[in-house]
Amino acid sequence: MSVFTLTEAEREAALLPRLVALTERHRRSCPPYHGILEAIGSAGPYARVADLPWLPVRLFKTHELRSVPEEQVFRVLTSSGTTGQTPSRVYLDREAAATQPRMLAATLRVVLGERRLPMLIVDSRSVTRDPTLSARGAGVLGMMHFGRDHTFALDEHGRLEGVSVERFLARHGGEPFLIFGFTFMTWLHLRGLGLDLSHGVLIHSGGWKKLAEQAVDNAEYRRRLGEECGLTRVHDFYGMVEQIGTIFLEGPDGDGLYCPDFANVVIRDPETWEEAPPGVPGLIEVVSTLPTSYPGHVLLTEDLGVVHGVDDGAWPGKRFSVLGRLPRAEARGCSDTFGQAVA
Amino acid sequence: MTGLGGGPPVRGGGRVRSAVAADPAEGTLDLVFPAGGRVPVTRLLGEVAGAGGLGVGDERVRDFLGAFGRRLLSPALARRHPELASLGFFLRPGELARVLDGVRGGQSVRVPRGLVFHIPPANVDTVFAYSWALSALMGNRNVVRLSPRAGAVASAIVRALRETLDACDPEVAGAVAATQRIVSYDRSDTVTAALSAACDLRVVWGGDRTVREVRRHPLAPHARDLAFPDRSSFTVVLAPAWLAAPPATREAVADGFANDSYWFDQAACSSPRTVFWVGSRAADCDAARDDFTSCLALAVSRRGWTVDAAMAVEKRVATYGLAADGAARSVGFHGNALASVVLAGAEAAPRRWLGAGTFAHARLGSLAELAGLVERKDQTMTHFGFSRGELEELAGVLAGRGVDRMVPIGSALSFHRVWDGVDLPAEFTRLVTVLP
Repeated sequence: MSVFTLTEAEREAALLPRLVALTERHRRSCPPYHGILEAIGSAGPYARVADLPWLPVRLFKTHELRSVPEEQVFRVLTSSGTTGQTPSRVYLDREAAATQPRMLAATLRVVLGERRLPMLIVDSRSVTRDPTLSARGAGVLGMMHFGRDHTFALDEHGRLEGVSVERFLARHGGEPFLIFGFTFMTWLHLRGLGLDLSHGVLIHSGGWKKLAEQAVDNAEYRRRLGEECGLTRVHDFYGMVEQIGTIFLEGPDGDGLYCPDFANVVIRDPETWEEAPPGVPGLIEVVSTLPTSYPGHVLLTEDLGVVHGVDDGAWPGKRFSVLGRLPRAEARGCSDTFGQAVA
Repeated sequence: MTGLGGGPPVRGGGRVRSAVAADPAEGTLDLVFPAGGRVPVTRLLGEVAGAGGLGVGDERVRDFLGAFGRRLLSPALARRHPELASLGFFLRPGELARVLDGVRGGQSVRVPRGLVFHIPPANVDTVFAYSWALSALMGNRNVVRLSPRAGAVASAIVRALRETLDACDPEVAGAVAATQRIVSYDRSDTVTAALSAACDLRVVWGGDRTVREVRRHPLAPHARDLAFPDRSSFTVVLAPAWLAAPPATREAVADGFANDSYWFDQAACSSPRTVFWVGSRAADCDAARDDFTSCLALAVSRRGWTVDAAMAVEKRVATYGLAADGAARSVGFHGNALASVVLAGAEAAPRRWLGAGTFAHARLGSLAELAGLVERKDQTMTHFGFSRGELEELAGVLAGRGVDRMVPIGSALSFHRVWDGVDLPAEFTRLVTVLP
């Protein structure tokens, strides 16, 4: 059963009581969250999802935010995003840890079907074996659950292993198979293969920054992969460790990212903090009912995005794009701004 | 740190120069003043080693600084970069004479230290000029390391220095060109090490990390460091005095406070981060704080200070973080430009930067309560409503535990020859004992 079924109005009606309940649950069980809501004077009743108080996602890097006692923490997820930054810490209890892969599977089912597909990974096996697992490695490991007969397209040095890919296609190329990789890696390596990937379903993520530098946008990406590899089923997705299990998945027509039924986005004008209308870019707020063990159900990201349309695409609800990341604020002051530059 | 001025905030745009990274093996750097060009550090040191003959308060240097100051005060330049007007003001002949008077007298003969190596912060564009000018006035040979990341204001200063040099009397130009150097280089241990080993005094501005980094390079045994590490500043206001002040006064003080704070995105070490409201009645303190915040919001919008989306998010992260820690009782926003945090207690006063235009507020029963709160890191205390006697008494009570400056609100950024408790002209000289 698909999790891309709710119109915007239905979604609002379905999510509001569940997100309000989560807000109250976290308010009761997570003292730092309680402190924040007190300080900003946020008290119910909340009439709309957009009225719910949001947390800046970076707080998961600076603070320990959990709504379950320490002894009930089953897994702590960390992700550094960019190297050198403090990682986010996300606390899952047994229930949340069980729910998130189940909901991720339900989300991907709409494009992958019911059965596990043979899986070609546009990366090297070594990224999954690094003791300090990178976000990339974690992403690959997470996606591997959804495939079988995993084949890595790159060797340990990141060079394309054409022979393994050919062998993979000889075994599976005539039936549906899954290709996964980071957007930039798939762009870099798939086009040069000169192989027929027309039965493949490509799932990719990781952002467009590097491709934007080469003036490649999503339309160009899809066009060229279609022309050069025969890939027609291509799905970008957007997600973050702070809302693990929730991904926003590109629709079949490449006309934007769609929200699964248990999630939504609110694009906020960073000046007024009000919801921006379709077509007007702003900061992306992501809401999801999955974060039950930590207050991550309403998060303000540092990504800019825009809603293209509501209930007007292949799947119901909002369809949106991620436009890029806010730069990190820099001060003009005299403290320590100089350390790296001197000596 | 410097440059109180009028007009809207000026953001650094251009860069001083593209600055090709110095080859560490070669130890070369880019000369920015008196002329351009690329020179090995050894040659630069050779050039300035023997140069000299400057004395404390040398007429030629005073001529040059005076002419430079006048150039900075030219309407076109001052309009584009208001902080340069403050520097120009500081360099007026009368002001320079006052500085010299301040170090005159006594039984000894005051002489220059020799070669002074200045490492100013990258982001407060005018500091290097104050540091250099005072040292030059004291007759020193100077090498100023300008960051390749220095902004448009630094470029304007360098341009004005060069123009002053071109226009001045050849004898003056000769003396200045022989003894003064502004250079630029990217990370280079070789260059920093060579300059450190050669100088008689090293002046390091710009934060704990920079100071630690630079201290890895040994000085000559007789030489010394003058370090200006990370500092933090706060404001004290007598609540009843605020409530009793006429509207025009409150408006002017709010303007001054906005200037102190927003000029360098509140990250200058002398910009206030916490406002302590002093009063025996909590209701007075709360009323004064709320009225002050309203006045400040007006001042900020009058002056057109704004913050961008990234800064707005930064402030949310910082203030929500304080609330999560239990340090903040309430967090309020007047648009993105002004955030007010009411602290759970005065001891929670944050020293770290919380984003441009984020002010923590706390209540004190009396000024003396500061004694238990002040730290060595605290630099400037801007104040309103207290008498000189009360402030002097407080300085005595604090007994050097912290706070180097007590100045009225609005003067936090005004440069003074005594900075961080250091009398710069005195530090830039030595004393020769002469007994007949």
